[in-house]
Amino acid sequence: MCWRRGGINALMLLVVVPLYLGLSSASWEQRAQVRSTAPPGYTMPAAFSRVLAMGYQGLLSDYEFLRAATFYGDRSVKRQQMSAEDWDFFAYSLDVVTDLDPYFLDPYILGEGLLTWDTQRYAAANALLLKGMQYRTWDWQLPYYVGFNYFYFLGDSATGSTYLMQAAEIPGSPAYLKTLAARLAYYGGKSQTALLFLQQMLAETHSEALKQHMGKRLLALQGAVQIEEALQQYRDTNGADPHELSDLVRSGYLEELPQDPYGGQWTLLQNGRVYSTSKFVDAKPETK
Amino acid sequence: MSEIVIDSLYKKYKPGLFKKPVEAVVGLSLRVPTGTVYGLVGPNGAGKSTTIRMLLNLIHPDKGEVRIADKSVSAATNADFLHAVGYLPENPYLYDHLTLRELLRFGGQVCGMSAEQIAARIEALTRQTGIAYALKRRLHTFSKGMRQRAGLCFALLHDPELVILDEPMSGLDPLGRKMVCDLILHLKQQGKTVFFCSHILSDTERLCDRIAILDQGRLVREFEAADLRAFRAGERCLEDEFVAAVEGVH
Amino acid sequence: MLQRVWALALVTGKEGIRDRSLFGILLFALFVLGLNVAVAGFFMRDLGKVTVDMNLAALSFAGLLLVFFIGINLMAKDIDKKTIHLVLSKPFSRGEYIVGKYFGLVLLVLSTLTLLLLFSSATVAGVHAMYPAYFGGFTWSVYFWAVAFIALQLALLCAIVVFFSAITTSSFITLIFSVASYLVGVTLEEVLFYLKSQAAAGEVVASQTLRSVLEVVAWLVPNFAAFDLKTEAAHGLALEPVRLLTTAGYGCGYILVLLWLATLIFRRREFN
Repeated sequence: MCWRRGGINALMLLVVVPLYLGLSSASWEQRAQVRSTAPPGYTMPAAFSRVLAMGYQGLLSDYEFLRAATFYGDRSVKRQQMSAEDWDFFAYSLDVVTDLDPYFLDPYILGEGLLTWDTQRYAAANALLLKGMQYRTWDWQLPYYVGFNYFYFLGDSATGSTYLMQAAEIPGSPAYLKTLAARLAYYGGKSQTALLFLQQMLAETHSEALKQHMGKRLLALQGAVQIEEALQQYRDTNGADPHELSDLVRSGYLEELPQDPYGGQWTLLQNGRVYSTSKFVDAKPETK
Repeated sequence: MSEIVIDSLYKKYKPGLFKKPVEAVVGLSLRVPTGTVYGLVGPNGAGKSTTIRMLLNLIHPDKGEVRIADKSVSAATNADFLHAVGYLPENPYLYDHLTLRELLRFGGQVCGMSAEQIAARIEALTRQTGIAYALKRRLHTFSKGMRQRAGLCFALLHDPELVILDEPMSGLDPLGRKMVCDLILHLKQQGKTVFFCSHILSDTERLCDRIAILDQGRLVREFEAADLRAFRAGERCLEDEFVAAVEGVH
Repeated sequence: MLQRVWALALVTGKEGIRDRSLFGILLFALFVLGLNVAVAGFFMRDLGKVTVDMNLAALSFAGLLLVFFIGINLMAKDIDKKTIHLVLSKPFSRGEYIVGKYFGLVLLVLSTLTLLLLFSSATVAGVHAMYPAYFGGFTWSVYFWAVAFIALQLALLCAIVVFFSAITTSSFITLIFSVASYLVGVTLEEVLFYLKSQAAAGEVVASQTLRSVLEVVAWLVPNFAAFDLKTEAAHGLALEPVRLLTTAGYGCGYILVLLWLATLIFRRREFN
């Protein structure tokens, strides 16, 4: 029957199809809402992943890495804070990724970049890097980062120097590593050394976010170095430390105290090092 | 000398896991002399195809023996006896994506023919069976009649001494049937032995030197040269005698 | 004898290559190969590894599809449609038939893999040209070795398919058993070593009987993980010749034994 078929066609076109399109977009919006409030998610323990990968462990490691990276990126873009559970998930994901393919470089780099600067999980970062060092024996970057962590975050210049030397032994490592290791061993925690280190790291980094992070830190350190050099001159001349740092300006060793890009006040530590009340970390955003 | 000797052949098989075994061939004995055309007729399920498969060692008999050119088939240790045998199954299914020429070349190569021999035989046979025009076509485009003719070419390519045909006329139009009849007579002229089973009594009567009627696995009647002369002269009717023989058993 | 086997192999291979399903499988593989050029950009450093991962996955998965669908069909159709009656009416011994069909399957796999390898090499070279700095450890020789062993893996799978086809009448059963054998073969090593490490660490996760059963299975099913050089190819790790030889020998030995068993069983088979 011609008109009946025409009727069905009209019904489909005018009612059913628009209904589908409307419901489809509504469903996608719902999913977006559900996902934004969803818990970070679950990564299967490596033992299971390896079995279920069925010979495609490498591919699965790539996928899981992307998942972890986009998870962080998602939170970052939305300016959402990563909770402790979020970081747990992230760290565990990287662990699983490197269990699936321990030669995979990206998780080590991302782990070093985020676990240290953003969430102060230095032990976790080091453990990850040490795992990588067992496999990527030709890669100088991993022991280099471990050394950096020990020196910069954990304040252990001696251990830091050991790892830097290890990195320097690996063929293909940059020429400055040996001298840097030696400096570290000798001068310990002077800001000047940290500055050199950081300048090198900056040159090696490709991620824009990390570059900004470090650039800021560099600025802070340059300020600290300036103050420390003035401080040294004061000590050499007067034989003692000034009472407060503003004395340096008053006595003419500094034109003015440099700005702390983190917005803190410069302080003088017990061991004679220059530090800031900001602790060289961004102030946490106000909670409502 | 007999080309084929079937001696007290028995074959039982189970149609399903829990079904009772069916007796396909019961105590079958017959002889096909060299250079004759032997016809096997019988109602559906009489055991004709089963018998033919035992001739080719596709299935093994429970009891009895099959001999071709005085060599045992069932006890054969290799398939060399098949060099002299050509077989056309009922409803032949061929490799879909090959061309006719590729299929026939394959048939010739496995029989140890040289490339020139193969080319010559392909030419002659396809012309005889009327499918020379389809040599370059893929087999899945073939109609049933064309497939039947292709199967015939495949069976005869290596010029076998013994030709076994299972329902050679099936699927063919009257022209095709005439072609097969002419072919069989031609083979007979060349001194080959032809063993075939068929439902079409008129053609069987016309072509054969001997006819056997099979029913429920048993040989119920055998017609020799004299009988056949009578059939051809119209003195007796094969159809009537067939029906009588078959009904008589029931 | 060799002529017969080769003729059957050629015919089987041609039949497989001209199957239209092949087109779909090739399209899928080419899609993944093309995709890998885009996906590489998502990663930071180890682009070489990601490219190799995707390429080898595409090749091996296409091979799997090939064997499981077209390969099984090539064996099963013969018996199902009674084409085998035609073939066995020629002077083929049962063993020659099995070997001929097997090499036909292998021919199909090798020719498809070669074609895909050409495209794959092009995409790898392309991504390499786009991001030369991130292709650190990659070497072509290890990559080709990995592909060669993927081919050997697939040849093993073909032998399994031929074996099960020789035993059963249903193509579906052949498919199920072949897939099951493959799944066991790829996961066996992981499971066995995981259980061993747990036992060594003092945490006994599974009973002794389970482990004994798995050890027996290890003799029956080929350890597909041994032929997996994907990690080595992804990072350009060195390959010792002894390891390659042992693995290749292991594979060929398994194929020979399986084909022999298939022939023995096939000899007793009846074709109605």
